[in-house]
Amino acid sequence: MLLFDIVFNGNDKMYAEAEEAVNAAIAKYGEEKAVGFPETAYALAAYYAETGDKITNLKECKEGLAYIKTQMPRERRLDSVFKSGVATALAAEILEVTKYIDGDPYEGISEGAMTDAQLRELGVPLVVYDIPCVALIIHAAPSVQEAVDLVKSYQSQGNFVCLVGGIIDQLKEANYNMGFNVRVYPIGDNISCAAHAVSVASRVAMVFGNITPGDKVGLQKYHFERFRCFVNAFGPLDEKTVACGAGAIYYGFPVITNDMEYTPSVPKSLIKLADVSKFNKASLEARNIKIKVTNVDIPVAFATAFEGEIIRRGDMQVEFDGSRVDSFELVQTKELTEIEDHNIEVIGPELDEFEQGSKNGIAFVVEVAGKKMQTDFEPVFERKFHAWINGAEGVMHTGQRDMIRVRVSKDAYEAGFRAKHFGEILYAKIKGEFEAVVDKCQVKVYTDQAECTRLRHELAQASFDKRDERLSNLTDENVDVFYTCILCQAFSPSHVCIVTPERLGLCGAVSWLDAKATHELDPEGACQVVPKEGLIDENLGAYESFNEAVHKYSMGALERITMYSIMVDPMTSCGCFECICGIEPFSNGVAIANREYAGMTPLGMTFPELASMTGGGVQTPGFMGHGKHFIGSKKFMAAEGGIQRIVWMPKELKDVVADRLNATAKELYGIDNFADMIGDETITDSDPEALVAFLTEKGHPALGLDPLM
Amino acid sequence: MPFNQKPEKFAAKINTVTIGNGDKAIALGGESVLPFYAFDGPIDNAPKVGVEVTDLGVDESVPGVKAYYEGCSSVAEMAKKASEMEGADFVVLSLKGGDPNGEDKPTEDLVAIVKEVVEALGDYPLVVEGSGNVEKDSELLTKVSEACQGKNALIMSAKEENYKTVGASAGLAYGLNVGAESAVDINLAKQLNVITTQLGVNAEKIVMNIGNAAVGYGYEYVVSTMDRIRNAALSQDDATLQMPIITPVSIDAWSVKESMASEEDMPEWGPAEERGIGMEIMGAAADLVSGSHAVILKHPQSVATISKMIKELV
Amino acid sequence: MALNGIQIFKMTPKTNCKECGSPTCMAFSMKVAQGAAEISACPHMSEEALATLAEATAPPMKTIKVGTGDKEYTLGGETVLYRHDKTFVSRTRYAISLCSCMDDATVDAKLEAMKKVDYERIGEQMYVEMVYVNYHEGDAQDKYLDIVKKAAATGRVLVLGCADEAVAKAALDICKDSKPILNGANAANAEAMSKLATDAGVVLGVSGADLNELYDTVAKLEGLGNKNLVLDTTGADVKATFANTVQVRRAAIKNEDRTFGYPSIVNLSKIAKDDKYMQEALASLFTMKYGSIVVLDEMSYGAALPLYGLRQNLFTDPQKPMTVEPGIYPINGGDENSLCLTTVDFALTYFVVSGELERSGVPCNLLISDAAGMSVLTAWAAGKLSSGTIAKFVQENVEDKVKCRKLVIPGKVAVLKGDLEAKLPGWEIIVAPDEAVQLVKFMKEFK
Repeated sequence: MLLFDIVFNGNDKMYAEAEEAVNAAIAKYGEEKAVGFPETAYALAAYYAETGDKITNLKECKEGLAYIKTQMPRERRLDSVFKSGVATALAAEILEVTKYIDGDPYEGISEGAMTDAQLRELGVPLVVYDIPCVALIIHAAPSVQEAVDLVKSYQSQGNFVCLVGGIIDQLKEANYNMGFNVRVYPIGDNISCAAHAVSVASRVAMVFGNITPGDKVGLQKYHFERFRCFVNAFGPLDEKTVACGAGAIYYGFPVITNDMEYTPSVPKSLIKLADVSKFNKASLEARNIKIKVTNVDIPVAFATAFEGEIIRRGDMQVEFDGSRVDSFELVQTKELTEIEDHNIEVIGPELDEFEQGSKNGIAFVVEVAGKKMQTDFEPVFERKFHAWINGAEGVMHTGQRDMIRVRVSKDAYEAGFRAKHFGEILYAKIKGEFEAVVDKCQVKVYTDQAECTRLRHELAQASFDKRDERLSNLTDENVDVFYTCILCQAFSPSHVCIVTPERLGLCGAVSWLDAKATHELDPEGACQVVPKEGLIDENLGAYESFNEAVHKYSMGALERITMYSIMVDPMTSCGCFECICGIEPFSNGVAIANREYAGMTPLGMTFPELASMTGGGVQTPGFMGHGKHFIGSKKFMAAEGGIQRIVWMPKELKDVVADRLNATAKELYGIDNFADMIGDETITDSDPEALVAFLTEKGHPALGLDPLM
Repeated sequence: MPFNQKPEKFAAKINTVTIGNGDKAIALGGESVLPFYAFDGPIDNAPKVGVEVTDLGVDESVPGVKAYYEGCSSVAEMAKKASEMEGADFVVLSLKGGDPNGEDKPTEDLVAIVKEVVEALGDYPLVVEGSGNVEKDSELLTKVSEACQGKNALIMSAKEENYKTVGASAGLAYGLNVGAESAVDINLAKQLNVITTQLGVNAEKIVMNIGNAAVGYGYEYVVSTMDRIRNAALSQDDATLQMPIITPVSIDAWSVKESMASEEDMPEWGPAEERGIGMEIMGAAADLVSGSHAVILKHPQSVATISKMIKELV
Repeated sequence: MALNGIQIFKMTPKTNCKECGSPTCMAFSMKVAQGAAEISACPHMSEEALATLAEATAPPMKTIKVGTGDKEYTLGGETVLYRHDKTFVSRTRYAISLCSCMDDATVDAKLEAMKKVDYERIGEQMYVEMVYVNYHEGDAQDKYLDIVKKAAATGRVLVLGCADEAVAKAALDICKDSKPILNGANAANAEAMSKLATDAGVVLGVSGADLNELYDTVAKLEGLGNKNLVLDTTGADVKATFANTVQVRRAAIKNEDRTFGYPSIVNLSKIAKDDKYMQEALASLFTMKYGSIVVLDEMSYGAALPLYGLRQNLFTDPQKPMTVEPGIYPINGGDENSLCLTTVDFALTYFVVSGELERSGVPCNLLISDAAGMSVLTAWAAGKLSSGTIAKFVQENVEDKVKCRKLVIPGKVAVLKGDLEAKLPGWEIIVAPDEAVQLVKFMKEFK
């Protein structure tokens, strides 16, 4: 039979039963007889939410049925299937309410309609996803054991389970504890009871979602986006059940069934699965639900307080040292289908097999997948490994990439810490902290030496190279958006950093990728998207959209900003800057001082003096704070001629940036060993004339450029 | 040539939030001018003064407070008495006894107290403050919200860590007002307002507690944060910062050395009570002129004084 | 419009002659732009440049000096309405109020009580800087002069509240050398009072029935060449006084109306007569909003402790954190055997941490090392708080004074534990909770 026919028939049957029940009740009590469910202010909530009308007596039941009839189109279109599905649920609700005329029809274990008080109690954890999901299970499972296992699996994840039909008897048989308080809620035997579950969803939408009764579109949208529910329906299916299922699918609640014959499957919505043990996973995945991981399951304590612990040689059970034996750590993005969530695999010997005090290799490969995951986040996660692994008591971690060193203390080993626990830590923290983008995560811990060596060369280094290449190819021109960073506003209220691929935050700690990840992970946080729109001056790096962004995020303190000029509306500084550059008028260039440099500069100002006039979020033309890394950037004061303006910097700083600086100078101007042309404190620390003499001798390009001012 | 007065007029205004029902209800906010700048434009709702009582009973350490609640045998009686204090506009019930690091009273006991207080106060405006512990408050304030159903109370506080539970129960399930608490930082305050409204809580049901400090104890951060919030709300028309502000003054004012050191230890300082009143009054006056729409006080003298000051200014 | 450093630099001779005291013309220009140096310090500026700069860099509000020697105070000179926009520069000064209508005993008692308030808070001495001596019209001149003499003997700066020309002249004869303020000019007597003040070389206080009258009177005085003024913005009641004080300051700074560009006097003895608590509330209000001198009936510790604390906070530079002196601070009677805890010298952190430790009741020593006035995490990130800085401080300043060898470090820098153990042999390093509020519990449970 076609799905159309099954749903239409089921709908007709449910409607007929409801009509019959209403007519019989009217015959017995008259049209004015009041109807309703106990302790609710929302009447027949499913009907009320859909139509905006409250049904309070039998006459209105009849009118309601007349309305429902209009919602049962029979054209063979998907739309008709959905409408009929909803109509089935509404008819079922009317059928159910007639049962309440003579008092509560549900006795024994089944509870029927939920009260508003229960709903509110349930609603809060539902809205905040403490209850990740509502599972509605219909009919009997193939066996009592499968019924128990499935319900238990949902319950252990904190889900709320509603039961209709044969499964209730199965749980009763197994002496399974049921009831509202344990979040296993048996509704009743008849499929029409499913209406009570729909009523819960409808009331949550009205109470918690502020959905106006009668706002069909809003209701459907709320359910689709916010109310997390799915249906498990055991075969053999019947027409009424499938019709109800069509209603569920309309609201965005997927249906999973083990009846492989009765209906065709619909991707993501109607899933057929013979193996009941796979229902849990399939259901959660279909509704896109992630179970929160907060607990780090390891035999030693886990807290940031252990971060600074040092394990000395004598206290050490085993060591992994990347500088001697091939080791690495790596995050890799995979497809969702490639990953089994929370699969921790140790490839190679366990710690028991290593000699006490020995030096070995280890590799952590963390594979993640998620609809919002991007490969750009990999290094952001990876950089956290250090803090996470250190958080375990008796475990020490230093370094990153393929230069890591890890020690496990004797105490930790005694307490039962093993290689797989590295996996548990990484799994729990990745899922906990990056929940927003990671849907699934599995961890491979390699202790097999040959594998470590092979993978380091084949997998890790290839990935690192690719990443570095990506970084060096990222330019301000080939990305669409930049990001703000306002982390420092607590200290510097009107300061806004704009972070671009070629200009990292002036503190040196926030790169464009960091900002991007911060934004994805916390969309309301310190990093917000700044589009590149409304070009004003390409050379200066001035855009309307940047001006709007700084105006907005500085709370109106700043009007305009340019990205590449230190003379025209330069970017402000908070006070966290690694370096400050300032105009040295006599050599027509700029001098740079870094925070660590304590001496005088040819500007006649020390770093602290420069800092006091450059910080605080005020624009100081001619002076600008920036990160060390920015010194080698092609965008460094590009509007004024770029890095060839640099005439002086402390020697120590020059040593740090020389390679990048020379490479950029070579590329931009064809100058070799540009760093050698730049003065430092060994030439002069205070005399502009001596500096000019030095620059003249070296043929420094700044002397020949257009005047800076 | 006369002085050229240039009133500072803003197109934007602060949201109006009502607490309580009927005649006794109070409204916070609604103005388009800076605090007490009545010369620039009308201030329809004068700032309000709340009186704090706690589940721990009468504070025996301050003679004036002890004397005022003389004869009260329950928290509900204290709350009733507090509502009758000269200058009081609303009562604040603090459930600090629920703090797991303190008395760790069970939720049921505290909810029972809330119910009695609700009963005693009727329609009189009530603000309930949690234990201060985010985990405990998630559970506690959900139950408290239920107990305050229909009273249009203000439930404090939803913080970044538990705004979902507190916001969902107080703001959504029971339609009460939600206090959004952040730590003296304009961006944190803003972010919390944004995510709380995203949760579905009506912006007109949110009151901010942007944090406080005793005067002399980093109070400059409070001043600047409030100044900036008020400016953003009015001159930038930033809807995410247009919620009125409530500030608990008494907690900080009475827990610093200036108000706690005994006269025996510091004879030249004089009676501790006078110093505590000074800390409370001056803190409250500074908060109000920086942008608070409501202050929470404890001592009858402070309540009377600040209430009088507000009346004279508006 | 204020000029930036580059614009000023262009007008300098660009010779780096160093005669201004700065090493380069650029450094000098930047200081001038910041208001940290006077343009007149450069002997080589052209007349034209000086004129341009004087106009551009003239502050919207005048800086007025009163008193002499170490009792000289600067009033006004503010450039912003909100401290976060830059900083407030001249602290509000407080005066207690005496009157010719008071009997001798009252005057003596008030002066005695005033002298008692004198203490230090974070490096600043706190006391009542001024005495306001009010002449009640019709009272005997001699009685007034007696009080002026007594007040002058305290060494505090006097504010003579006197609109009677003859009495004022006699009072000035007594105290003019200590540079008091003659607060007595109004629309009716402006000319005469201005002459008195100018002849005596003192600041003149001006008042008016309303802002318009005040404005006209100031304009008139400026016309007479007297720009050494303060404005008494006290009105008929609290509301009027607040409106006056705010609008005067706002006109000066926001609307650059220089006629109102003077410091203010707010007299609480007039608008909250005999109401001590109301005066406390208003003292706070007018410290926050633009009172340069606030006059109260009296100053007890009950009022001084919060008021001076508030002032100290309000007048901090948002860029420069308040710090406490590095050292060992015993708490709850901590001695050489008591547990040591350490944190940074940022005043706010110190107060929060020491407050919680006091509340725990457990005797201990709080070790404060120099961390450039930053909070724990900021200092750590900036390298101002490291295992090296802590170890150095402990070895140089603590080990010979304290026997206990247990050191508690802030939870937020737990990462320093291992390094510290290596650098401080013999010490046990313990990690505290992340937040100060958890310290009470931590200390009580610590064995």
